[in-house]
Amino acid sequence: MLVTFGASAHEMTPAYPEVKPSHVKNVVKVEMSFFNSREEIRYYQIDLFDLNWMNIPFSTTYRIMQVDYKEHKSFDVYIRKKDMPEAVYLCTTSKVRRTNQSSTLISSRICSRLDGEPA
Amino acid sequence: MRFNMKYSIAILSVCAFPALANVEITGSVEAKCVIQTTKSGSYGNPIASKLSTTPADGGILPVMRYDVSIADAYIASITHPTAFSSSPSLTDTIAWTGSTSVTQTSVAGMSAYEAAKTVVGNTTNFNLTLAGSTWFSTASSATYGSAKPLPGGTYTAVVQASCIAK
Repeated sequence: MLVTFGASAHEMTPAYPEVKPSHVKNVVKVEMSFFNSREEIRYYQIDLFDLNWMNIPFSTTYRIMQVDYKEHKSFDVYIRKKDMPEAVYLCTTSKVRRTNQSSTLISSRICSRLDGEPA
Repeated sequence: MRFNMKYSIAILSVCAFPALANVEITGSVEAKCVIQTTKSGSYGNPIASKLSTTPADGGILPVMRYDVSIADAYIASITHPTAFSSSPSLTDTIAWTGSTSVTQTSVAGMSAYEAAKTVVGNTTNFNLTLAGSTWFSTASSATYGSAKPLPGGTYTAVVQASCIAK
């Protein structure tokens, strides 16, 4: 059975976000922008990893955020200053829905880097 | 009255000159990666114990397109499945195989991605050294242990397509 999707994309910027001070002491924030044009996807998970893809604690409004089709969304991620030396990858991953067809689903993940642009 | 009218017309005509100003349109191009899911795949069932996305087995290969705006800023990392995300109850092991290949490119130089790819476990990494679009397809097959027939039902597996800033 053929299952296709048209222009169906997942986009997150910036690739190298600026780390800014937040209103909370010893906590910094990064401001991200997100766009969902995957019609079959409504939820995206936010994760923060170190260089070895181990989870790093962070805070945001919704760890799994709902982003409707063709919707732009801005979100802030708050990270403790003491965790910043380890924090490298800030990622959003699509949450795929179960289907009733024998198929392969595609989970897309885009990761920005918090430790700056490559030299 | 006529005098006032004359002056009013003169003043209005001065005011009627269009206000001219230069309005700038600015823009910037920054590193950006967009993952397009061009085609989600489908498993064919060529023999009772096997599911495969290979067209020769009746399957459909999932295809992903990566658009990058800046050269050498991202790595495409694509992981083929090693488990079903949903399936009927299985009592034996599944032998998984899979691979990911470049199938189409927007720039001729991108054809080198295929030879330069690195495979770590079930993940294939491509260094996106050029700006533009690259299409990747992932083959996946699952064979039930001891060549037993797979139980009837719906099987779903997930391909993880990642675009990671370098």
